[in-house]
Amino acid sequence: MKPKEIDREQLKAIIDRHRGKTWALIPLLQEIQETAGYIPPESIEPVAEALNLFPSQVQGVITFYAGFSLEPKGKYVVRVCRGTACHVKGGRSILRLMRKELGLDEGQTDPEYRFTLETVACLGACFLAPTMMVNRNYYGKLNPNKVASVLAQYRKKKGES
Amino acid sequence: MEDITLTINGKNISCPSGTSILEAAKRKGIKIPTLCYHPDLEPFGACRLCLVEDEKTGRIMASCVTPVAPNMTIRTDSPAIKTHRTNVIRLMLANHPESCIVCSQGNRCELRQIAADLGVGEVDLYPMPHYTGLEATNPFIVRDLSKCILCGKCIRADHELVVAGAIDYNLRGFKSRPATLYDMPLERSVCTFCGTCLSMCPTGALSLKNEQYVGSPQNESKTICGFCGVGCSIVMGSVDGRIVEVNPSHEQETVNGSTLCVRGHFAHDFLNTKDRLTQPLIRDNGELTPVSWDAALDTVAKQLVDIKKKYGPQSVAFLGSSKCTNEENYLFQKIARVLFETNNVDSGGYMSGRPVLNRVEKRMDGGCRKNPLSNIEKAEAIVLLGADPGHSVPVVSYYLKRASRKGIPLIVVDPKKTEMVPFSSLWLNLIPHTDSQLINGLAAMLWKQNSLDAVFIDRFTEGFDVYCEGLKGLDIESVCRDTGLTMEAMAQTADLLAGKKIAFVCGNGILKQRYGMPSMGALLNLLLMTGSLGSERGGLYIPARENNQVGAWDMGAVPDALPGRRDLDIESARKDWERAWQANISPDRGLDVIRMVEEAEKGSLKALYIMGENPVRSLPQPERVRKSLERLDFLVVQDILLSETCKIANVVLPGAAFCEKAGSFTNMEGRIQSFEPVVAPLGEARADWEILQLLAGKMGSPQHYGSLEKVRGEIARFIPMYRDLDGGVDPGWVRQKGDRRLFEPDGEGTLIPFTPVVSIEHKDINDEYPFTAILGSQRFHLGSGTRTCRSGRIRDYGVKGEIELSLADGASLNLQNGDSVRVESEHGFIEREIKLEKGLSKGLVFIPVAFNANDVMNLIGLTRLGEPDSPGWQECQVKVAKL
Ligand code: SF4
Ligand code: SF4
Ligand code: SF4
Ligand code: FES
Ligand code: FES
Repeated sequence: MKPKEIDREQLKAIIDRHRGKTWALIPLLQEIQETAGYIPPESIEPVAEALNLFPSQVQGVITFYAGFSLEPKGKYVVRVCRGTACHVKGGRSILRLMRKELGLDEGQTDPEYRFTLETVACLGACFLAPTMMVNRNYYGKLNPNKVASVLAQYRKKKGES
Repeated sequence: MEDITLTINGKNISCPSGTSILEAAKRKGIKIPTLCYHPDLEPFGACRLCLVEDEKTGRIMASCVTPVAPNMTIRTDSPAIKTHRTNVIRLMLANHPESCIVCSQGNRCELRQIAADLGVGEVDLYPMPHYTGLEATNPFIVRDLSKCILCGKCIRADHELVVAGAIDYNLRGFKSRPATLYDMPLERSVCTFCGTCLSMCPTGALSLKNEQYVGSPQNESKTICGFCGVGCSIVMGSVDGRIVEVNPSHEQETVNGSTLCVRGHFAHDFLNTKDRLTQPLIRDNGELTPVSWDAALDTVAKQLVDIKKKYGPQSVAFLGSSKCTNEENYLFQKIARVLFETNNVDSGGYMSGRPVLNRVEKRMDGGCRKNPLSNIEKAEAIVLLGADPGHSVPVVSYYLKRASRKGIPLIVVDPKKTEMVPFSSLWLNLIPHTDSQLINGLAAMLWKQNSLDAVFIDRFTEGFDVYCEGLKGLDIESVCRDTGLTMEAMAQTADLLAGKKIAFVCGNGILKQRYGMPSMGALLNLLLMTGSLGSERGGLYIPARENNQVGAWDMGAVPDALPGRRDLDIESARKDWERAWQANISPDRGLDVIRMVEEAEKGSLKALYIMGENPVRSLPQPERVRKSLERLDFLVVQDILLSETCKIANVVLPGAAFCEKAGSFTNMEGRIQSFEPVVAPLGEARADWEILQLLAGKMGSPQHYGSLEKVRGEIARFIPMYRDLDGGVDPGWVRQKGDRRLFEPDGEGTLIPFTPVVSIEHKDINDEYPFTAILGSQRFHLGSGTRTCRSGRIRDYGVKGEIELSLADGASLNLQNGDSVRVESEHGFIEREIKLEKGLSKGLVFIPVAFNANDVMNLIGLTRLGEPDSPGWQECQVKVAKL
């Protein structure tokens, strides 16, 4: 599988809709990220031009926020929490397990663009520690079995599609 | 606003609200260490070194970003503060690489300095340097971002001062660093190598690439940049009498503040070329051979005097320099006028469009001379006409970009999509040399909607009625046809300008084009109608290409005016100078540089003395110029480099570069700037004013100045515009001349005339030469490139000056980037690589000047600028063929 083909027309339309609104950089980037799954580097210059910013500035904003990515990501982005509460409850072994299961290091995506493995500082659900997220879904009170079943669930989903 | 009182270290201080604690302290002479603060930049609060404590509340804050508040009791050096500061430095050093010890920034590194001041030596923390690799792939700036402390000065300088946008923060946390787009090396970004970031960096993260020297210079002293007419204030560092580095002088009241351009910052290494002249030379058996000063000067004096005796005063001519000082040009023309009784004097300013500027001078009667660039940021609207200041006078482009970022409407009128276009509100992509129709058309549209300054017109001008008649008869549709602009674009422009005072920045695209005269005439009319002159919210700005082209004219190094821009044709002007000099002055106009060449060609000009110009490279039809100068009986060239012109001279006199002598230059704003030598002249070379004075003595002048002060005294005494030149360190601005009411504080005086609307009949394009070539400059070179092509850095950077063609023409000629073409006009041809450009219309060819020994001059004809039949020097018709 390839990363989702980007619809250039659609990107252009999104950028045009925000033209001239310098304040709208973040919402514009969010929309691109949502639509394409990442921010294609070649869209930096058109975005800058539309908002009357320097391309280097736009790049700075993209690379500052963890929510934006300049690289295509997998269909499922797994974010394992590395926060203190999760650490205390064994978050480190969850991450280790995840690495092994997916065969990926932090920040990596598999060649089929199915999974991307990331870590975050705290998911804000410390009472459920240890935690992780897959796309927008939270999973708490993790243990090796639960991790395996969550992953199996997504692997299966993939099979369906 | 109310003043606020507080105490800092026990001292009572009162300052306007909004002042930062840091600035308040600075005013009282209290020093607080800083790393990310710079007075020219927006405060940022990144380094946390400027921490201070409010004794009352115990609050600790960064003084650079905290405004003063009433009754604060600040301590800048309490034990708590000292501990905090020390910790900040310890952390920074822990993040710093070991190569710190051998850093070329050495004892100028502010980080090390502050660490030493705080007594931080060995860092006891676990070292966590962030290795980024060294980037030293361009010949100007070395980046070692492992030494970056993220103060953000470079980024703010790049965004706020020069508005280039080449760099910004990239990534976050530990990995965060200033980076270009896609983290490419600087040369693959939009960086212009202005070096402004470099001279702001407090550490060794950004440093000067220097092949000639490593470490800090032995001496540093201030002078003025020797390249363009912006006249930037610089500090030059030297080692053993050689210039090794240049930085802006960082003074807020200067024209450039903390900025410079690539030439000023990096190209002064040309001074160390092996082509520098270090001893007088005389042609002996066809070879230039070293001789003593005495022998050289005796020969020059004898030859010139003999030729004058034999053939009369008109047989000798003098070409002064737009790069030499005011004092030197004054002496030079005085030698011509007094000792040789001839007005055959000109200077390089001719090549920068003086004939057209003469029209401004005459209409304004010498008013309109003080034009501070800082006013551009106060303008109500700006029109950039035929100028690409990012390349020709980069500091002017910074003013324009800052103005545009402030929201001032900027209209760019140019057949080429220049770097200023992205900053503009509107780009008028007009057909070359139709500016005069455009300006008149706009004036007519504004006039029809009664968008004019009636009070201004009434008080300060005359002849408006006749002008209106002309406007009334103008048909905007035919203006659109001539200029190739749409009615909509015209209307939008008129809307942007309506009711506003306008600042026009007007470059070679007007001054050197075929219809320069009528365009300038039309422009002045529009300036008058809108009341844009004499106000800081509008005005006329002429980028001067050479650093002292303005001063050389003021000093009388022109064939039709005496010093002080006094018209030679006016008897009282001659009388005044006859009295001053106790000599007779010929009433006959002299030869300008073009006529000098023509008369030499005919054989009627016998001798020419050139000071600091290289006409064999800078004039059109260089071969013709060379042959014509070779026909002279006697050619003297006084220069700093063994130029193309030196090579055909009979005598060569080694002069001194600007940083090797004292003097003064007058910049494009009308600012007179005096300076002292940074280093001594090379070898036996001498300051040009000294050479002139020695020569004058040998040629029978009874007067001996002995010192530069005496020359200045004479200038100040007899030229009211330069009354402030003697004595003072800072002579300030050129004073008002003439008595136009507009520029007189008492409201008395003469009126400025409107001129009638001139219509232009276009000549048909010769089918044999279907392309229009536009000549333009490139920021890495100045003028014809005599000096900049000898800069090792500029050479190493390797810009080729490719000929630019439109995509459409590229396709029809089957050309790709990197192919070579032959471009031919009726005068000659050149061959070069090409580059296809999106921003160029079909049928246009853009050719950068100064490359390949300035060969582009082969394409244009040696005609007098501004004459009705002259096609100008800015464009020419050519044909293009693939090689
Ligand atoms: S490169 Fe220099 S100026 Fe720029 S952020 Fe780093 S330390 Fe500051
Ligand atoms: S050299 Fe000038 S243009 Fe380049 S990054 Fe530095 S400030 Fe920006
Ligand atoms: S060349 Fe001109 S703009 Fe550049 S530094 Fe020198 S005076 Fe300033
Ligand atoms: S530490 Fe893991 S959710 Fe907060
Ligand atoms: S100087 Fe104030 S935080 Fe850097």
